[in-house]
Amino acid sequence: MFGPFRLTNPLAGGLLWKIPWRLSSHQKYRQRGRLRRVDAVIATLDSALARMGKSMKKVQRWKVEMPREEEMLAKDKYTVFDRKVKRYRKGIHKVPKWTRVSQRLNPPGF
Amino acid sequence: MSYFRITLMRSGIGLPAKVQGVLKALGLRKRMTTVYYPVSPDVAGQIMRIKELVDVKEVAEPMTKCQMREARRPDPGYYIERKGNRLIDEKM
Repeated sequence: MFGPFRLTNPLAGGLLWKIPWRLSSHQKYRQRGRLRRVDAVIATLDSALARMGKSMKKVQRWKVEMPREEEMLAKDKYTVFDRKVKRYRKGIHKVPKWTRVSQRLNPPGF
Repeated sequence: MSYFRITLMRSGIGLPAKVQGVLKALGLRKRMTTVYYPVSPDVAGQIMRIKELVDVKEVAEPMTKCQMREARRPDPGYYIERKGNRLIDEKM
């Protein structure tokens, strides 16, 4: 029952990777930090360009279209739309490279 | 004239070639490297491409590699005393 040779799923059947279906609270905490860090970069770019009297379409579009971290719903922070999944939502940690990509918007109504 | 201080916090390994190309173009080869570029829309566009990987601050003056190293150097914890008469000589 206990000890190093106990019969667990990985020992019995070889390779078994289990990815939980939702993020842990600590993963969510770090995810919020990452979102805020991107917001800070955008704010820096915008203020620096504004001080020079210039602006940039890409930055302006991001500011108009993308919600900031505090404006986002928890649903959008931690899950993404997926048409193949029951109820159309899966954890954002299932997205490849999810800690280094921006995925903020989802289809309206889902 | 202000500058962007760009530090690569997350590596670009496994990301699309365009992202890795921008990192290379900015001279960000390894994590925690810092580069300085003058504020311009061109550089801002490059930063937009790698915004998830970098930390960006606006600074007044760029620092050279030597200056960055000196800024990182910890306090040695001691100081070398000098002879009094030499101090007087320097003042004169």
